Amino acid sequence: MHKKKTVFIEGAITPDFIANSIAKHQTKKSIGAHNIFLGQVRADEIEGKTVQAIEYSAYEYMAELQFHTIRENAFEKFDLTCMHIYHSMGVVKTGEVCLFVFVSAPHRKIVFEAIEYIVEMIKKEVPIFGKEVFEDETHQWKMNTV
Amino acid sequence: MQLKILYFGMIAEITKCSHEILAVETKCNSNQLETVLKKKYQQLQSISFKLVINQNIATKTIFLHPDHEVALLPPFAGG
Repeated sequence: MHKKKTVFIEGAITPDFIANSIAKHQTKKSIGAHNIFLGQVRADEIEGKTVQAIEYSAYEYMAELQFHTIRENAFEKFDLTCMHIYHSMGVVKTGEVCLFVFVSAPHRKIVFEAIEYIVEMIKKEVPIFGKEVFEDETHQWKMNTV
Repeated sequence: MQLKILYFGMIAEITKCSHEILAVETKCNSNQLETVLKKKYQQLQSISFKLVINQNIATKTIFLHPDHEVALLPPFAGG
């Protein structure tokens, strides 16, 4: 049982935040491999209109339970030293980062497998919703393809 | 009995509220609730959603209880 962690961050996840997170691991000397996944908001063009931002919302209580389960399962499946998941809430503009998954382990092979597993589970299992806002302020709802 | 129902994303847009207390018959089950909701909010008939009871997706018919936290979730879009 690993402790529950805060996942949601208001607005975009900044490059500084990511850099600091990397720096914090330099004291953990059993780690030999990190792997990072960054999800970035894409300027999709839909029927002539371009997405300018995604506004995220969530069923937060259930989402936290799901993130916790994903963490527990990932630690059970893979020999990880540590794992961090951060996801944006609220408005994230195109080009900004909305998802940051960071896994670390003694050796490289499992961090590749672990990151794919975790990202796919987040997309499939966590009740997060995204409103794609166009330049003219109209919107549509994003749906993950699983 | 009364049930508290939470709505999210495009569903909250259809219902025009993030939650409501709905009066349903005692012994109402999850299938019957879906029917009630689709009648009240006809746009629900044309979109895909998941009925969630106490944070678990209802994969089979469940008898509802006033203590249950019921939620209607539109397709997920995390990441």
